[in-house]
Amino acid sequence: MAAYIVRRLAWVIVLLFVITLITFTIFTVLPAADPAALRAGRQPSPELIESIRQQFGLDDPKPIQFLRYIQDILPFDNDGVNFGFSVQSNTEVLPQILDRLPATIFLTAGAVVLWLCIAIPIGTISAVRTGSLLDRVTMGLALIAISAPVYFLGLVALFLFDEDIGRFPLLPGSGAYQDAQGFFGKAGALIMPWCVLAAAFAAIYARFLRGNLIDTMQEDYIRTARAKGLPERTVILRHGVRAAITPIVTLLGLDIGILLGGAILTETVFNIQGIGRFAYDAIVRFDLPVIQGTVLFGAFFIVMMSLFVDILYAFIDPRVRY
Amino acid sequence: MRRSLHWTLILSVLLALTFGVAACGGDDSESGEQGTNAGTPAEGKKGGKLTALWAGDTDNIDPGITYYQMGTQIIRATQATLYAPKIDDAAVNEPQLAESDPQVAEDGCTVTVKIKEGWKFSPPVDRAVTTKDIKYAIERGFFSSVNNGYAGPYFGGLDGAKVGAKPGTKIPGIETPDDTTIVFNLKPGEGADKCAGGILAQALVMPLSAPVPEEYAKEFDAETSSTYGQNQVATGPYMIENNAQGKAIGYEAGRRIHLIRNPNWDESLDNRPAYVDEIEVQQGNDDATVMARKIIEGQGMITGDQPPPPAILKQALTQQKDQIALVPGGSGRWISLNTTVKPFDDLNVRKAVSAGMDRDALRLTRGGEAIGDIATHYLPPGLAGYEEAGAAEGFGLDFMANPKGDKALMAEYFKKAGFSSGKYEGNEKLLMVGDNEGVGAKTAEVAAEQLRGMGFNIELRQVTHDAMYNKFCNRPPSDTAICPNVGWIKDFSDPQTYLDPTFNGENIIQTNNVNWPELDVPEINKAMNDAKLLTDPAERAKAWAEIDRMVSEQAPTVNWIWDKDTSLQSSNVQGVIDESNGIWDWAHSSLK
Repeated sequence: MAAYIVRRLAWVIVLLFVITLITFTIFTVLPAADPAALRAGRQPSPELIESIRQQFGLDDPKPIQFLRYIQDILPFDNDGVNFGFSVQSNTEVLPQILDRLPATIFLTAGAVVLWLCIAIPIGTISAVRTGSLLDRVTMGLALIAISAPVYFLGLVALFLFDEDIGRFPLLPGSGAYQDAQGFFGKAGALIMPWCVLAAAFAAIYARFLRGNLIDTMQEDYIRTARAKGLPERTVILRHGVRAAITPIVTLLGLDIGILLGGAILTETVFNIQGIGRFAYDAIVRFDLPVIQGTVLFGAFFIVMMSLFVDILYAFIDPRVRY
Repeated sequence: MRRSLHWTLILSVLLALTFGVAACGGDDSESGEQGTNAGTPAEGKKGGKLTALWAGDTDNIDPGITYYQMGTQIIRATQATLYAPKIDDAAVNEPQLAESDPQVAEDGCTVTVKIKEGWKFSPPVDRAVTTKDIKYAIERGFFSSVNNGYAGPYFGGLDGAKVGAKPGTKIPGIETPDDTTIVFNLKPGEGADKCAGGILAQALVMPLSAPVPEEYAKEFDAETSSTYGQNQVATGPYMIENNAQGKAIGYEAGRRIHLIRNPNWDESLDNRPAYVDEIEVQQGNDDATVMARKIIEGQGMITGDQPPPPAILKQALTQQKDQIALVPGGSGRWISLNTTVKPFDDLNVRKAVSAGMDRDALRLTRGGEAIGDIATHYLPPGLAGYEEAGAAEGFGLDFMANPKGDKALMAEYFKKAGFSSGKYEGNEKLLMVGDNEGVGAKTAEVAAEQLRGMGFNIELRQVTHDAMYNKFCNRPPSDTAICPNVGWIKDFSDPQTYLDPTFNGENIIQTNNVNWPELDVPEINKAMNDAKLLTDPAERAKAWAEIDRMVSEQAPTVNWIWDKDTSLQSSNVQGVIDESNGIWDWAHSSLK
């Protein structure tokens, strides 16, 4: 197991390097906009553009720029790890990411709890009572939830329930998270974003679990368990759900990683100043160091969650050994 | 306008993330003003907090760098510039930090300004402002660590000024004989005996003239990229909330900007009433509909960097008239016709296009009459020279007379160009590059359709806004024939800032070019170069109005709208629009 983890961690480093290189290439070799021209204003002279290029090191050869960025993300120079400086605000990128991380973690954690609490019971009941009215209704609703884009669902929720502009002003809405104070205040401000973010995921997980569980319940060992006279509840939960949930754990790990990298749409609709929102603003402003920082951070979460899931497998599924 | 670029980029980011997963195995109307609050400021109530809802951040928080509307809005509350535009008359500049009008020598080579005594910097500097602080502020605009975008065009004539100078470099052309006098010495252009002191005097309304204390700022300016913005001190009625060391803790990039009262501000020296106690800018309000509804239905809020969407605008104009302000934005929109590309090198073809274009249909793509007036010449309302150019009447040019287009006149001009059918008869493909999303895309499509109706073989390429500029319209080698989504906004109320960058043939450059039609008429270039050297504002207005006529007669663009800026406020806000900036002025607005 230890050797496996070391091997995977080594791959993580290689992978993050490749992702950094790809992001750097996309935004420096193939850009539609010139960061120096954007910074220079409306009537830039060639001298001004040249000076800005020098100021931000944009006139250096691309490999040098890439190496400089690598220096910024590794603790080998005097400045330490800072992920570079935002071209727009001229502030270190890493502290800004870390500053926004709690909002993204809180949003993700709450949504994950919510969608699991919805998806597991519904998926299980639907699988056990296939074809029942409950199954048809919940799976129908799940289809709707999957089909509605987060952006659309978020706006509908705001226009219905936002305490400022909603038809039924029940919940804090856009921008509320930033103003809210304390754990419970922040949690209250996230109720609507949690619900919106969780809706599609809950639907996907419920359908996924239902499908897996239906297959699992046809397995021989389930028949054996029943033949042994085990109560149906034990058969379903201990033998059925436990086996059917393994692929869900993989999915969950990756989804959490992606969301920790920034739930761009949810954060944008509800004006939550998290990493996704930060990435969005950077893309709008063509702020390359911030874009690179947020992508790298997102990728880090994804690969780490992937590793975590693989390790978790060994505990969930006794057949898995490393 | 940039949204599709954003989504393209977001997709790229997601692609990169996906790679990670896979690799793991896992603005408007007649030149008058609609709505309210766009006139003379009324007496307001002291106290309270004003909240501005913005989508994004300011272009830069540093007063020596910012160049755009939102940055100017912050500066107008936090800094004292030498001069400031009159709040309700954009064409008039008033002394702010200065004691009186600038004294411009007849040859334009010297501009002298006296400043009032008693202005102080906010904490932690806490000392009186002197002219040395203004000298340093302008010098730092040329530093390679600051790189101000307009220092070159307007202050570049100063003796010894050089863009991209090493931080700390002095400009010998700026002298401060005493603490209240500053003298700007300009050098004449090559072969000329006059200098551009006239435009420099006008440019003293720009944020760059806000004083900066050298002894405090120099360590920030010495960095590769100056961090003075995050540590700035104020001279206006408000300051960005800071800590004892001067760090602007009230500025959280992309999140919020919090302004509090400047304890060192002396209201007896300033004409800004500064009614409210604090101003909070909340960023991240991307959805214009949500933002507009929050303001209309909420309390103490105002708009910032995005106008209300057409549906809300329509509703507000009928149901919430006292919550909306519409003012001329000092800007215009054009469909540029590349005068170096056939057939637009023929003046009669350009006139035919302008005559035949239904500009009212183009305006509908942006929301109709409320968002601006159909232009009759170039200089827009609110800019010096507009009245001299005939105001809304214009010069009476026949091809600009009918907003809905005049097909008979169009045919006449086409016939003059040698096309007997009264339509264009060539069949070469003409590259037209426009926006690929939003209202800009609609404008491009409607324009393309109309041009096809005139007989042109149009190849419309719709790309992201940035690509449109950087790969096509701003690059003469691309030989783009038509750019339907270009336009210009004044820097300040001097017509040179509007017409010189955009129609002076001497300004055509191979990249980042903004003379989109590549108009290069020696008589016009000479008239502009002569007008630049005029020092009297009235003479300047007259001369540039004449240049406006000369440019308009060349029909280098389909000049279709003078924009209006649209702003919203909550019902308990008594907002006052800064007419030169087109948005609410925080230092004049109050709560009811």
